[in-house]
Amino acid sequence: MIAETLERLLTEGEVVIGEIVAIRTPGGSFEVRHRSESSDPARTLDIRIFTRPAAARDLARYDRLGRYRSLKGAPNLPTGWRLRLGSVEEVLRALDAFYPGALATWIAFQQGNLAPVNLRDTLQRQSGMYRVTQKITNAQADELVGKCCRSDGGCLRTILWRLDPQTPISSLPLSKFDPRVDQLGQTKKCVPYLCVEACNLLVANARRVVKQASS
Amino acid sequence: MVSRPHSALILVGHGSTLNPDSSTPTFEQADRIRERKIFAEIQCTFWKEEPSLREVLRMIEAPEVYIVPNFISEGYFTERIIPRELELTGPVTQHANKTIKYCKPVGSDTRMADLLLQRASEAAPRVPPSKTALMIVSHGTDLNENSAVAAKKQVSLIRRRNIYGQVLAAYMEEEPRIEDWPRLTSQPYVIVVPFFIADGLHSYQDIPVLLGIETESAAAPGGGAPPTRHVPSSQREVFRRNPYRVAARELYYTCSIGTSPLVADIILDSVDRFDQKHRAKTIK
Repeated sequence: MIAETLERLLTEGEVVIGEIVAIRTPGGSFEVRHRSESSDPARTLDIRIFTRPAAARDLARYDRLGRYRSLKGAPNLPTGWRLRLGSVEEVLRALDAFYPGALATWIAFQQGNLAPVNLRDTLQRQSGMYRVTQKITNAQADELVGKCCRSDGGCLRTILWRLDPQTPISSLPLSKFDPRVDQLGQTKKCVPYLCVEACNLLVANARRVVKQASS
Repeated sequence: MVSRPHSALILVGHGSTLNPDSSTPTFEQADRIRERKIFAEIQCTFWKEEPSLREVLRMIEAPEVYIVPNFISEGYFTERIIPRELELTGPVTQHANKTIKYCKPVGSDTRMADLLLQRASEAAPRVPPSKTALMIVSHGTDLNENSAVAAKKQVSLIRRRNIYGQVLAAYMEEEPRIEDWPRLTSQPYVIVVPFFIADGLHSYQDIPVLLGIETESAAAPGGGAPPTRHVPSSQREVFRRNPYRVAARELYYTCSIGTSPLVADIILDSVDRFDQKHRAKTIK
């Protein structure tokens, strides 16, 4: 289902997720590249070419300055490379290396099989050193999400969860919660990189906020 | 191993927000298993990296899923965090339209002893084993993890084979401590194997300093800041400068055991053992 959906999308045109675009080439193979770069073959002389999907893992691991990207949704993927791949399955593996599960989650969303988890529920199940995050106030959490998750410099995911059932996030623009919106601020038709619940980085930052507030 | 065309394998690693190398051994074991074309699908998931434990099941389409923790020890993560995040109810969980089978972590496999012995003989092929102390080093007390228990189990298994003059475990944060190795070992040759899944701060820096084969300033350029960039080759050099002549001994130091390609076989063993155990239960 996931690979079949990707094949259909690639037949219809380019597939854009976050900073990445995947296309079917006229020769029938596939190319994945940074969407800020041209697909013009004449301009690929100084571009590194990779032919194995596992190369996507290394490309997604460091930003252009060689710093470790601990958050896959961070808008700082390096440029200057192309992935030339032979099958839809390889394209899916590459996309999952850049944006893990983005397509599978999008399919589940469209089928109505996705149940977003509000921040309070995520924090409520934490244990050990992260149990203390349950003490964060909604105001502190809202501010934190506004800083960490914003698309311009934070994370390109589209947020589907709230702070609690009654409390939406107010520190980010409404576009941040709309799967139809290209989080890079362009007007590309995209597969959104959905955020179904707060990640461990946000939980770790919530711990920091609580600890700082109590010290 | 037989082909499992209707099954998926998920490897669970710890991952890290600081150490770029933390997830690499888990991905590489997955690559090795993928090449054997046993499973319909293979995914990796991490506690501290993406895909998270909360999202990985959406990436799987096979009706049967084996989960193998690529962890050294049974404890907090394997008994609490992983089941909680994956919403497992026991060894077998029915999850929507999937049957999820939760296998034992790699570190608890008795074949780890083979890997430790192989790593030791590769690092020091010419030393006489009868005059050598093999020291398995791990973290010790850490977030309820039983890493000390796991190391002791392997030490016990290796001792029974009567290969090395001395076999012992030592820890970073509990007795017997790694820094006491000159007193703990009685042989002229010493081989030290870190009992960790991935190389990182502990194997690059902390343990070499405790062994006295690195100084703190040399091991931690930049004032001890974590390696958020490409690990410089100088950090891996610590595994290539064998032997070290220190404390009137000849010491050999290896990279973490979890980087061995043979861990892929242990992962597959974990799946086989799960089936054997639970099939046996069904027959009874």
